[in-house]
Amino acid sequence: MARKHKGPIRALAKNEYALLLEGSDKEALIGLLDQLRDSLMSGSTDENLKRLFPTAYHQDPKHDEEYQRLMRDDLLASRLQSLGVATSVLARESVDNMTVLTSQELDEFARSINNLRLVLGTMLDIDESDIDVDLDEDDPNDQRLALYGYLGWLLDWAVTAQLDEYS
Amino acid sequence: MNNSEVGPTTVKEPDVDSAVDTDRPWIVLVWNDPINLMSYVTLVLQKLFGYSLEKATALMLDVHHKGRAVVSNGTRERAELDVYRLHEHGLWATMQREDA
Repeated sequence: MARKHKGPIRALAKNEYALLLEGSDKEALIGLLDQLRDSLMSGSTDENLKRLFPTAYHQDPKHDEEYQRLMRDDLLASRLQSLGVATSVLARESVDNMTVLTSQELDEFARSINNLRLVLGTMLDIDESDIDVDLDEDDPNDQRLALYGYLGWLLDWAVTAQLDEYS
Repeated sequence: MNNSEVGPTTVKEPDVDSAVDTDRPWIVLVWNDPINLMSYVTLVLQKLFGYSLEKATALMLDVHHKGRAVVSNGTRERAELDVYRLHEHGLWATMQREDA
């Protein structure tokens, strides 16, 4: 049974989704995605990026080193690919703020939004008690928390829109 | 590949440890983290492993409440591929021998 959606992302048909965001939101997201892409491409060793390259062998540093040597570049390329797709979707011409995207594009978009959350969440040292706190809009840290919450809201709608496809 | 250029001094002895590894099952674990959304983790498990919503939700809840859950198992190569795909989607996944 099809679900009712009133959020910023909804299913239109099989393999077709609508993204409904204001132009200012799309521009802000493109800016964030560009920043992340630049950081990744610069080879930055920023600790805030560590969640994007997790350990694979948590009990075996020797095997993990080998795994990272073989797979890190592939993972980086995959992340850059997703960021590129997400940026192109957001930059795409829309009608009444509605952009149409495919299932694959929505998947890459969701992964990119999650990448931003992983970096921002690491930067903010998020723990589960940070959910639903009162925010002070003049506090820079709280502004980042608000952004983190916005990205979570957007990602949750991306998930909701895809539920019928995988259920 | 031209094998005639390979001299005796370049022949590697079999890696006994690796040979044993291929015969022993590996498990892939997803660990709890405060950043990934519960709904997103559930969807990723459905998408990557073809699990039903019920099974993916149960695994996600194990991750959330118990700190981790085994989401797949198999050969070392299979486990590495699963870990890679989970990492692509931002989940905190690791692998180990089943009996470790």
